[in-house]
Amino acid sequence: MEKVKKMFWVSVLCSLLIIPTLAGAQDKFPTKPIELVVPFAAGGSTDVLARLVAKFAPKYFDKPLVVINKPGGGGVTGTEGVVRSAADGHTLYLGYGSGHDLVMPHFQKLPYKTFEDLVPVSLLSVHSVVMIIRGDAPYKTMKEMIEWGKKREQVTASVSTKAGSVDITFQAVGKTTGMKVVTVPFRGGAESVTAIVGGQTDCGGNHPSEVISHIKAKRLIPIAVALEQRDPAILDVPTFKELGYNVVTAGSVKGVAAPKATPLDAIRYLAERFKKVCEDPEFIQAMKDIGQPVMYKGPSDFGKYLQEGYDQYGKLIKEFNIKLE
Amino acid sequence: MNELFGMFQGLISGFGIALTLNNLTFALLGALLGTVVGILPGLGPAATISLLLPLSFKIGDPITSIIMMAGIFYGAMYGGSTTSILVNIPGEAASVVTCIDGYQMALKGRAGPALGIAAIGSFIAGTLGVIGLTFVAPPLAEFALKFGPPEYFSLTILGLLMASLLGGSSILKGLIMIVLGLLLGSVGLDPISGAIRFTWGFFLLQEGVDFVTLAMGLFGVGEILYNLEKELKTELVTRKISHLWPTLKDWAESKWAIVRGSFIGFFVGILPGGGAVISSLVSYAVEKKVSKHPEEFGKGAIQGVAGPESANNSAASASFIPLLTLGIPGNAAIAMIFAALLIQGVQPGPFLITERADVFWGVVASMYIGNAMLLILNLPMVGMWVQLLRVPYAILAPIIVLFCCIGVYSVRNTVFDIWIMGIFGVFGYLLRKLDFEPGPMILAFVLGPILERSLRQALLISAGSPLIFFKRPISGTLMGFLILFILFQIFMVLRKRRTGIKEESS
Repeated sequence: MEKVKKMFWVSVLCSLLIIPTLAGAQDKFPTKPIELVVPFAAGGSTDVLARLVAKFAPKYFDKPLVVINKPGGGGVTGTEGVVRSAADGHTLYLGYGSGHDLVMPHFQKLPYKTFEDLVPVSLLSVHSVVMIIRGDAPYKTMKEMIEWGKKREQVTASVSTKAGSVDITFQAVGKTTGMKVVTVPFRGGAESVTAIVGGQTDCGGNHPSEVISHIKAKRLIPIAVALEQRDPAILDVPTFKELGYNVVTAGSVKGVAAPKATPLDAIRYLAERFKKVCEDPEFIQAMKDIGQPVMYKGPSDFGKYLQEGYDQYGKLIKEFNIKLE
Repeated sequence: MNELFGMFQGLISGFGIALTLNNLTFALLGALLGTVVGILPGLGPAATISLLLPLSFKIGDPITSIIMMAGIFYGAMYGGSTTSILVNIPGEAASVVTCIDGYQMALKGRAGPALGIAAIGSFIAGTLGVIGLTFVAPPLAEFALKFGPPEYFSLTILGLLMASLLGGSSILKGLIMIVLGLLLGSVGLDPISGAIRFTWGFFLLQEGVDFVTLAMGLFGVGEILYNLEKELKTELVTRKISHLWPTLKDWAESKWAIVRGSFIGFFVGILPGGGAVISSLVSYAVEKKVSKHPEEFGKGAIQGVAGPESANNSAASASFIPLLTLGIPGNAAIAMIFAALLIQGVQPGPFLITERADVFWGVVASMYIGNAMLLILNLPMVGMWVQLLRVPYAILAPIIVLFCCIGVYSVRNTVFDIWIMGIFGVFGYLLRKLDFEPGPMILAFVLGPILERSLRQALLISAGSPLIFFKRPISGTLMGFLILFILFQIFMVLRKRRTGIKEESS
């Protein structure tokens, strides 16, 4: 069956080449390369994810996936670009569920509606927030850290950006543990890791993919994960909840979205092919190696997951009375 | 001793990898591409590497693809000076100071020697940087980690104060430009609190004004507007070319500038963030200080080209140190190489040198070869570039404007930025009419956000106590320099005033 399908596509492609003038609206999706817009800078964890997906895509998609970085406004600029692009399924947003989707709308009005102007296609991965301390710090566990921290005037935590998922998590850590946590925002995850490795701050929060090499090198120790369940990327690290602190977030969700008017056929096609990529053993291994667990969900499940994540952040922000100063 | 032997052994095996025909070809390809994107304003090495990433999967071998990407990165440093010297447009932030004396040299018909000394200086500095990378990488990387927010603040404010003295015409005018640059740099999201500043409701301004947009407007378009006026007055200016190559005298004047620039670039380049920019600035300031004829700076002093151009190349080599030894990417282009390595299944970091010795030594060895290739590529091109100045301005000017527009558009793919560039173009024209130097402004613009962020981060860490800048050894030393520097300047001004009064009374 699969072979027949392939033959069909090959013949469609051939006919397209021969009679390009007749190629009209009836052509089956996709008719040209699909753009994966990453609204963050190249080299970050979302970018690496997108490029890994694009690398494996030719096996399963009929047209290549092309990664385009459009950084700006904490992710808003690139996402808005996708919202305003042609809704034909050829322009997709990768990173749906990041800080500017789940956290920022609680503080600021965006130039588009995150949940109404975009439709979910597939969830690819969830990047948890893991609390890290330096390998040679005088404290080695959560308990020791809190004992130490409570005696101090303040405990500094490096975070990737103000009002992002990591920042909110650490504001909550401060409120639940009784330490006076001061978050120090840096310019992205890489810089905040550098600061904690260099001992500039007392602790920090990052996504596992950003710290996995430092954990292996024993420069950093992961002490708690802010998710409901443990993160498959770092299975031996307990959750905050297990340790008795109610800091549970949705993490930074990394999925694919399309503009709202995208035809259902295209969405179905995309979801099916992304699923196949996510089931590829080589892809799963490659993702494991970079510390990003594969967690596929289809359009409707992904949509529900996002909504829950958004509400969870809202609850956290309200409960701990977190404000942008 | 054993360790040194191991390093040589590693390096030799690295050459074995880098000298295969396949790797040589890709090193050459990278160097060539890098030179081209360095020359084209706007398109930088980071964007190029990002465009070529999919190709790197096709190459298959991670060593080969990293060799090519590294070539693009340091190749761009060679090309960056070309437009600074020829048409007064810095290809990137690290080449801003090259404009000051490089363009003046070109106006005096000495574009050839300027380009030549930039290429030779880049080669020497690049190679010295790689030698440093080969032998002292790990301990230095540890040192770089000690550089936290307080150290960045002290270093940046020192650099900024030096910038105010760059143009040399008037300290007051320099300070005005710095303040303007700092203000412009504060457009966008507040780095600490996330509040929105000075965006006038434009969402596109939330991330601030882009460097490329500002530089193209202020330098590129501004210069062209100014020249149009001049050319109309004086009819056709024939652009004279006196020599094509640096003379022995040029060489004698710049050799120590190259050596000093290499060392400054290497040590500042190890620091993550802003390394290449700050190093070129520091190198220029040092050259001006040690020169017996500081008054020639700003009027076409060859040391003002040789020093900073060497510094930014050796900084480029040095920026591989935190990547390869700690797994910390210091700038956008290096971050792309970091991503490329990850995607290919190679984890950069402390274990790279033992787990993937082939990658580490192969790439290091290729950088020796690549730098030599770049020199061979660039020297013959000097003649070709100089010929470009013979093109009538009426043809050259629109081409420059076109390239500026493409360059600015390519950064974020928005037409909005082209309008912003136009506004800064007019502003740049007015600055020239009023005899203000745009250099300090753009440097303050680049350094301002680093300054603000590091100041506020440091104060967050110290719970508000400014003593943090003096208590930590590195920061304290830098602050000591800063205070000495200010005292020295005040002393000079007072002495000048006193001798002035004396002369008047006698």
